[in-house]
Amino acid sequence: MSWARERQTLDAGQIHYGPHQSLRLRERPSNSAVQRPPQFNWNADQPEEGAKGRPRNLKELPLPMELKKAIRQVQQMKVPVMSNWQSWKISKSKTMKRFLEESREVLAYVAPWRRTLHKIGGHFGGGVQSYFLFLRFLVVLNFLSFLLIAGFVLAPSIVFQSSPGNSETQNSIDQIECMIYSPEPQSLSVFYQYFLDLLTGMGFMEYSYLFYGFYNNTEMMNLQLSYNIPMAYLLTTAFYFIFCLICIVLRMGAVIRDVVKTGGRAVGGYSTLVFTAWDYGLQGNRATNLKQNNIRYQLQMDLEEERIRKVAASLTMAQTVRLYSLRAFLNLVVFGLIGAAFYAIFKATQFSQSQTGGDFLDLIVQYLPSIVITAANFLVPFLCDKIALLERHSPSTTVILALLRAVFLRLVSLGVLLFTLWNGITCNGVTESAACSVCQYNHKQYPCWETRVGQEMYKLTVFDFITVIAVMILVEFPRRMLVDHCPCKLAQFVGRQEFVVPQNVLGLVYGQTVVWTGALFCPLLPAINTIKFIIIFYCRKITLFQNCRPADRTFRSNSSNFFFLLVLLLGWSLATVALIYAAVMIHPSMGCGPFRFLSMMWSVVPDSLQLLSNSSRDFLYFMGSQAFCIPLFVLLCVVLCYIAALASIYGKTVSLLQSQLKMEGRDKQFLVKRIKELNSASRGKKR
Amino acid sequence: MGNKQTIFTPQQLDAYQVGHSARREAGLFYRYHNLAPQLVPLDYTSKPDVKLPYELIGSMPELKDNPFRQRIAQVFSEDGEGNMTLDDFLDMFSALSEMAPRDLKAYYAFKIYDFNDDDYICKSDLEKTLNKLTRNELTEDEVRMVCEKVIDESDLDNDGRLSLEDFQHMIVRAPDFLSTFHIRI
Repeated sequence: MSWARERQTLDAGQIHYGPHQSLRLRERPSNSAVQRPPQFNWNADQPEEGAKGRPRNLKELPLPMELKKAIRQVQQMKVPVMSNWQSWKISKSKTMKRFLEESREVLAYVAPWRRTLHKIGGHFGGGVQSYFLFLRFLVVLNFLSFLLIAGFVLAPSIVFQSSPGNSETQNSIDQIECMIYSPEPQSLSVFYQYFLDLLTGMGFMEYSYLFYGFYNNTEMMNLQLSYNIPMAYLLTTAFYFIFCLICIVLRMGAVIRDVVKTGGRAVGGYSTLVFTAWDYGLQGNRATNLKQNNIRYQLQMDLEEERIRKVAASLTMAQTVRLYSLRAFLNLVVFGLIGAAFYAIFKATQFSQSQTGGDFLDLIVQYLPSIVITAANFLVPFLCDKIALLERHSPSTTVILALLRAVFLRLVSLGVLLFTLWNGITCNGVTESAACSVCQYNHKQYPCWETRVGQEMYKLTVFDFITVIAVMILVEFPRRMLVDHCPCKLAQFVGRQEFVVPQNVLGLVYGQTVVWTGALFCPLLPAINTIKFIIIFYCRKITLFQNCRPADRTFRSNSSNFFFLLVLLLGWSLATVALIYAAVMIHPSMGCGPFRFLSMMWSVVPDSLQLLSNSSRDFLYFMGSQAFCIPLFVLLCVVLCYIAALASIYGKTVSLLQSQLKMEGRDKQFLVKRIKELNSASRGKKR
Repeated sequence: MGNKQTIFTPQQLDAYQVGHSARREAGLFYRYHNLAPQLVPLDYTSKPDVKLPYELIGSMPELKDNPFRQRIAQVFSEDGEGNMTLDDFLDMFSALSEMAPRDLKAYYAFKIYDFNDDDYICKSDLEKTLNKLTRNELTEDEVRMVCEKVIDESDLDNDGRLSLEDFQHMIVRAPDFLSTFHIRI
């Protein structure tokens, strides 16, 4: 086939479209079905123009430059006839579109670490980038929470601390022993005491804005303004939780939209891999080699899974029974391991709570729950991985199972810690027992139990942070130096570290859940967490670029993003349950805190409601009554049914359109075959 | 920009601005010029007919390590051999930029993977693609199985090969395509 070499030059407004065409518009005279070259529809209306005033679909067509120039000239000659209303609507929509685009650009510019994330995505892929995006989301969430708490709780406390006009009501005389609380540090302290106090949250740190016990139940009752600090404290915490929930749900919505748009899990796994996995932006021999290895590994993994599935389907009955009983036994072993970990945490917490002291050995005792939790979170998944080798699931099922077990372990171990604390504080829930009968809580061991709980959460956060730094310095850097400089076979076998995304994300979720649980008792914890996460971001970035090799197995980022947010939501619900229980069921400490003279934290809200005017009080009571709530509930159910129906209709439409596409292909094939038959029939008749 | 020399007429600039900004335009032109300074004049107002051979295009750092560089150059060049004029060069980087729409990219990706230029991605095209993707490190069996799976998944009209419609339909379901079919220059 000889293709024409010349390309005709175009005069203004004239298009020559003869046999001399550019590469892109050649009609291939092949006998197979015609591949339609991209057409330009001269008669289409142009109601929408692009932001720069040029018709948008011109950019989308692979036409030669001269043709595009000519088309544009013709379009500019066309003057569409529109009514005033339509032109106003169009100009308004153009302004709105331009505004949205610019605001999106500004947001993307303002978002921190934009260039770093870009670089990470380019070098290590979407999976690792999703971890850093998640981390950035948590940093922003924590920072905004800190601003919220600082604005409504911290700043008023500081301002009203020293001003006159506070009112503090007195308690009854016979509960005087419950009000004993003396957190002032001893006068003779050793020089390293400050360092120890910083780590444990005791001593000089205990009676400070960091913990609940420092805040007073001051109520400013000036003429100009009145500010109720206990109410602000409780409602700010509640609003903080709701704010976090909204952020997480919004982000989940964005992720789900992506997942639904592409039809959920990649159904066309192989074809997507072959045609879209290659990153055209890769430069350098090393990066391309790695990517090629990556793709090869993924293909081999997928084929392996297929093979395992075939083998599993071909087992005899006896073999299947044996496999399933083996799996059931191994699951029991795993549950036993997890139960042992929980028991260890329970014992450690009980022991640590019963000791007090100020020297280094007691530091270890103070940190015992954190140490046991961290050790359990490292050992148990490691053992479970080894056990999972015997279970002989397919690789993707193994990964999902390991993740589920790790999530269960992390969140429930935190729950066990909280349960143990609750045991100690409320004497196992039996408020009539000896230690708890006077003050409704164990006032001898916990003169200010909220601060103690806050201190435990503070210690967990600090220990988590120290662990990350220590692992980076003591494990990751030496490993890389060993692998790079030691020629021994063991080092080469172990190889450079791989950045494992799921475990790291679970660590983040755990840290955030601890912060949520402790937010009521340690108001500055979100601020500490912001700083901690920022430092962790930079540490992980350094370790990623210096010590890690790109993973052989890429992590499917879109469906796992949703899973991470789901786990975060699970952690949030755990913290909410703990918060509600603490606010409603446990008697606040009488010696400290803003709620010291109430029987439960929540009662500050009904008490304040009494002070409102009659009409607003009646309105709020009406909102809480059954006459309002039941119709609201019914309305929400109706809306839910409507949305569910809409979703199912869309799903059906999508599958209908897909089958229609398939049918069209078959129709085309059928018609081509008929044309061939008719042609050959007519040719045969001619002869 | 310190260089006040005019490179393009205003009409040319206007035409080329489909898909680029003027600054990006000029940047790409300087890249093209720097590939062969003695061949490419700095003044394009007279629309000179200059074509750079494939070897120069293929030695650009952005394309040098890409296993598909020869196919890319062939698809975008006018003569089908990989020798590109400035128009072809600009078209290429415009289609591979982040602003090009999905349909345009799908169209050109299809042509890149269609090694024998017959408007269909048949099994031999797939095998060549796979071997380039994995540096020939898959076994014969594995290559055959993957090709079968790909055709199974994407072939909607059941003719044993992928047409442009099949390819586009499959691309719609791939979330990463827009970001991977992208050269940063």
